[in-house]
Amino acid sequence: MLKRRELGLAAGAAALTGLAKPGLVRAQARGTVVMAQQAQPPSLDAQVTTAQASRNINLHVYETLFARDEAANPQPDLAEGVDISSDGLTYRFALRDARFHNGKRMTSADVKASLERYGRVGGSAFIMRPVDRIETPDARTVVVRLKEPSPGFIAGISSPRAPCAIIPEEEAGKEASRIEIIGTGPFRFVEYRPDSHVKLTRFGDYVQNTKYEGMDGFAGRKVANVEDIMIRFVPEAGARTAGLQTGEMHILEAIAVPAAQRLRSDSNLQMHEMMPWAFQTLMMNHVMPPMDNPVFRRAMQAALDLEEIMAISTDGLYRMTHGWQHPGTTYFAGDVGKQLYNVNNKDRARALLREANYRNEEIILLGDSSFSNHQAAIITAAEQLRSVGINVRTVITDWPTAFSQRTQRTGWHMWALMLGIEPYEGPYGVVGFFSGHAPVQHARDEVIEDCQRRLTTSLAEADRKKAVADFQARMYDQAIAIKCGDVGIVQATRAQVRGYKPYRIPRMWGITLA
Amino acid sequence: MLKYAAGRLLTALPVLLIVSALSFGIVWIVPGDVAAEMAGPTATAEELARLRERLGLTRPWHEQLVGWYGALLRGDLGESILLRQGVAEAIIERLPVTLALTFLALAIAFVIGTTLGVIAAVRAGKGADRVAMGTALIGFSLPDFWLGLVFVYVFAVLLGWLPTGGYVEFTTDPLGWARSMLLPAGTLALSQMGLFARMTRAAMLEVLRQDYVRTARAKGMPGWIVVGKHALRNALIPVVTVAGIACGVLLGGAVVIESVFSLPGVGRLIVGAIQRRDYPVIQGGLLLTATIFVLVNLLVDLLYAALDPRIRHGRR
Repeated sequence: MLKRRELGLAAGAAALTGLAKPGLVRAQARGTVVMAQQAQPPSLDAQVTTAQASRNINLHVYETLFARDEAANPQPDLAEGVDISSDGLTYRFALRDARFHNGKRMTSADVKASLERYGRVGGSAFIMRPVDRIETPDARTVVVRLKEPSPGFIAGISSPRAPCAIIPEEEAGKEASRIEIIGTGPFRFVEYRPDSHVKLTRFGDYVQNTKYEGMDGFAGRKVANVEDIMIRFVPEAGARTAGLQTGEMHILEAIAVPAAQRLRSDSNLQMHEMMPWAFQTLMMNHVMPPMDNPVFRRAMQAALDLEEIMAISTDGLYRMTHGWQHPGTTYFAGDVGKQLYNVNNKDRARALLREANYRNEEIILLGDSSFSNHQAAIITAAEQLRSVGINVRTVITDWPTAFSQRTQRTGWHMWALMLGIEPYEGPYGVVGFFSGHAPVQHARDEVIEDCQRRLTTSLAEADRKKAVADFQARMYDQAIAIKCGDVGIVQATRAQVRGYKPYRIPRMWGITLA
Repeated sequence: MLKYAAGRLLTALPVLLIVSALSFGIVWIVPGDVAAEMAGPTATAEELARLRERLGLTRPWHEQLVGWYGALLRGDLGESILLRQGVAEAIIERLPVTLALTFLALAIAFVIGTTLGVIAAVRAGKGADRVAMGTALIGFSLPDFWLGLVFVYVFAVLLGWLPTGGYVEFTTDPLGWARSMLLPAGTLALSQMGLFARMTRAAMLEVLRQDYVRTARAKGMPGWIVVGKHALRNALIPVVTVAGIACGVLLGGAVVIESVFSLPGVGRLIVGAIQRRDYPVIQGGLLLTATIFVLVNLLVDLLYAALDPRIRHGRR
């Protein structure tokens, strides 16, 4: 090892406070907290699914070597920290003391088996592609050797998208979704009744990460103050809101914005706004004429009133930001491309249409009714494009149909999509979406490919930041896709839920029931 | 009677065969697959292809068709991709909820609907008739979905009498079960209540004009015996036929109601499977629903034949 890079600065700082003595911490816990969410999990095997419905449950049960903190930066969770060699090829993880829900102590063999399984079945298995081999010199140390530098490796294994969960070695040989639900998290799995609920209970032998003082994103010190968690699947939004009002439910992962406004004065309830939650985007298919002409795409970019789209599609909970990374995060590229954001200039759009020699070809706008934002964004955009003389046809289907269609090279020109977890993760998922073998726009853009290469291989952070800034410039200059703005959500709790901090998923550790 | 029943059962077989072929074919027509649900919106084509391969979605259609019918002959409906559970097992697990909801709703609709119908017929053209028929019309016209939410607001949020949703097992807590089923069953019943009321009124009006009813009245028989014993029994024959149709409609309506009230029934299972393209569940669920529908209609035909012997002897 030539140089030590401590990625656990926050943990280290907390350690100085005298809380660094690890061990079992048993707290007095009471009550059952009931959370309601719209969908049920497609799988409770944390590694294999990227569904939000699964994350809400799984991130209470499973933990990862590194996890994202409150600002979405990676922090040690099951790892004490990591030493990265100066060539970026060797990652040495020291493990903290942890125990699985079956009573077994976590060792490096469990971590090795879990990482290897993730490479086979993981929802973001590509993050393990640079891995050459994994070694376990002792029970508390894991060494990951890469074939090539991958500066996004820690970001990848710390992402909650499809968490790289650490499971017992005995389970790691099993097929996707065939494992026993055993993690190291502060709550253990009790039962899953499809179409009804999942029940979790406090893990009495949970080993808290005492290097932290309090909760910090998905990392931090996780203290379970409630005995049980009941996560109910309630598809109807009105029924979820009614359940919160009557007290049958304590926490809603999301409440409709109009309902949140209506209930804001109810002293029994608390509304927690989260901004940003996701990007609202309009993706473009570059292989369907006339979209293969960047001038035509620029005409569409100029024609759209993005603020109107955001206001209508989000019920008013939005902010107008142009960045393809969230402001305040490491890779936010400042004002790059801002002059081309939300131009809303119909005359310019008409001039560009003439320049593109547009011959009234039909433009298909694809949306889905499963996500109201998508449908509203498409319908609003369609009206705006018609107003400058573009011949638009809207196609609204259910989500699987729209998704299936967008993977085709024909049958759509523009597609509405909320990008939520990818921008939260950082730049890798966002840039990766527009590059590689199957970019969303179906046509490779060599400048973006180069940005992706620089981002994923440059060891210097400044170079990676430059790659993201170049990517953003290209997105606007070539009108690769349109970012409309940032979407927010509202989470809701009963007033009796104390200590609740809104986050990417509702977290049940750290809260108490009054 | 046995011969008649066997004959009717045989005619049901082609229907089920067609339904099984349709339920297999429909998943090949509908775009999208379960891999999209599992992989998420930003999955790459490569990730999707890998997932499809692992889930067995890339096998050719004729291979899957042979597998489907082969398994059916063994009584095997396959395994849910998302639930990792046998389809038959998943359906059987949820069937009590759907059947309880459907038959409770049917009972409520039948009892209240026929009572309203009888009152309306006996008081034809008077205020009671107008009120009864008006009530029936309102119930018939309002959408289940909207009505369910209104009931939740009134009976759960405002009055706090009943839960907003969820299901309690009968064996765990019978009273809790009744409380969890009352709003959904009542909501579902309202639409069919109107149908029963209108059918009963029409049938009763016809029967009340018959000579034997006039004779019974002329003999000085009390009105409630004339109506309840002599007229109603005959008037109920067409209403029983309607019950069969209503049962099918209620099964269909249960799909919506189960979603509104978060009941873990077969309807919600199938809707969830359609939304997420869990093909084995869609296929098995459709086949089972069709089978129930066919059996209920068969039962109604047999009941009809039992009530009116002319039918089974082919004299009508």
